[in-house]
Amino acid sequence: MIRDITIGQFFPGNSIIHKMDPRMKLVLTFLYIVVIFMCKNFWSLGLMVASLIITVALSKISVKTILKSIKPIVILTVFTAIINIFYVNTGEVLVKWAFIKITTGGIFTAIFMVIRIVALVIASSLLTYTTSPTLITDAIERLLSPLKFMSNSVHTIAMMMTIALRFIPILIDEFEKITNAQKARGADLETGTLIERAKALIPIFIPLFITSFRRAYELAFAMECRCYHGGEGRTRMKQMKLEIRDVFCGLFIMLTTVGVVLLNINFTAVI
Amino acid sequence: MDTILEFKNVSFSYDDDGNKAVSNLSFTIKKGEFVAVLGHNGSGKSTLAKLSNAILIPDEGQVLAMGIDTADETRTLEIRQHIGMVFQNPDNQIVATIVEEDVAFGPENLGVPPEEIRIRVDKALKAVGMYDFRDHEPHKLSGGQKQRVAIAGIIAMQPDCIVLDEATAMLDPNGRKEVIKTIKYLHEEYGITVVFITHYMDEAALADRIIVMNDGEILFDDHPLEVFHHGKELREVGLDVPQATEFAIALNMKRKVLTTEDALEGLIGILEKGSSEG
Repeated sequence: MIRDITIGQFFPGNSIIHKMDPRMKLVLTFLYIVVIFMCKNFWSLGLMVASLIITVALSKISVKTILKSIKPIVILTVFTAIINIFYVNTGEVLVKWAFIKITTGGIFTAIFMVIRIVALVIASSLLTYTTSPTLITDAIERLLSPLKFMSNSVHTIAMMMTIALRFIPILIDEFEKITNAQKARGADLETGTLIERAKALIPIFIPLFITSFRRAYELAFAMECRCYHGGEGRTRMKQMKLEIRDVFCGLFIMLTTVGVVLLNINFTAVI
Repeated sequence: MDTILEFKNVSFSYDDDGNKAVSNLSFTIKKGEFVAVLGHNGSGKSTLAKLSNAILIPDEGQVLAMGIDTADETRTLEIRQHIGMVFQNPDNQIVATIVEEDVAFGPENLGVPPEEIRIRVDKALKAVGMYDFRDHEPHKLSGGQKQRVAIAGIIAMQPDCIVLDEATAMLDPNGRKEVIKTIKYLHEEYGITVVFITHYMDEAALADRIIVMNDGEILFDDHPLEVFHHGKELREVGLDVPQATEFAIALNMKRKVLTTEDALEGLIGILEKGSSEG
């Protein structure tokens, strides 16, 4: 079950999106998320959806994988939509029954919210699907490097993120092993009240914590043995260089942004 | 530089009660040697490993690694670059999420220029036979493969000596074979000095020299043939001898035996002698 989580998963590939400079990818993803919240009418929203579809097609990631990334947020999205339908009371009244009032404004807002959330999740999943976690943390470190004059913890945080990502699958394995071991000893994890079930998790989490600390200790030794001494004087095997394709991808998103602004101005806002 | 490691009357204890993990150790490891360190749990063999590259600093005595005193904190990095260390659990020594990025970790820390890192990483991965897996995720590899990646990560720092602290203890028989083959290859092809800490007798028998540890002291320090000839003493400290050697001792063979082939030859010798006499 836990294995189904695809966030942070990376699918190696050779597409233009894979090869893009991770810094550019990171910045453009942020820009995209900001712009999608700027859309005021269906024309601009349509443009954003179209550009996302083009990007997905370019990345050669299968539609099935993309749909899988939306699965965990279905309930949240539906819930948001329902709340919006009932609580937003602008525009024409369509249905009025007792205290329930459904308006065109409510329905439009709901549709907008659903599309925005789905696009946001797809865009950010696309980033992790096409970029190795090390490159993402590297990119963050490099983008934040101007902050280095304030503190030297930028490298430390990036390193922590890399290690956390590296150990997620290991800890999931360990969690499953311990759960099975406790089940074999007769631990009951499935029945009982919520509190009882929460209590039953204690004998799983304590060994998990202890082994994690032991791992951390050993990893620290191993890193020291490989001459790790913080970010000072460290070089990188994979250099990041902006290339023509990165400029094109940047222009593509810039044009989309300009398009969204123009469409927002030329057509009446629906929300 | 002929001497890689030199221990001079080294003592170390983890707590203050004076329970020494190792006491009064003295030995020298020369360039190009393949040394196995044998001992049961708690005999001080892992402590010996950690003393060799300045993870632990001796309480008494002195450890010289590549002629540098490990107590000299300003030169710790230099020592660790020359004396690489591989640990027991491969999962806990792999830092990055992609094989080649992990191998690059050591050279990156040393500040090696990017193009040179690329060359070193490819070379190291080819040396351990993991080049085809360079863009794989480590958690999808087998134990033996992971341990070979860990070894490649050390090789990429271009050390003179690798210390393997029970590097095969967590592996299945196939993984063990892979790792042993890799180490043998690195020793023969690259002339890397190997200190191989283990409690498997068959693995120790591959070395040119065995140091047997017991209660923090050196019990034997000799060629495997000589060491395993002391079958009785070894059994007393909770160690075994390889089956072939045990066989030879039981038959009172005159020759010192290490491998099955040796034992077979010895047996043929005895039988021939027997038949000519009879």
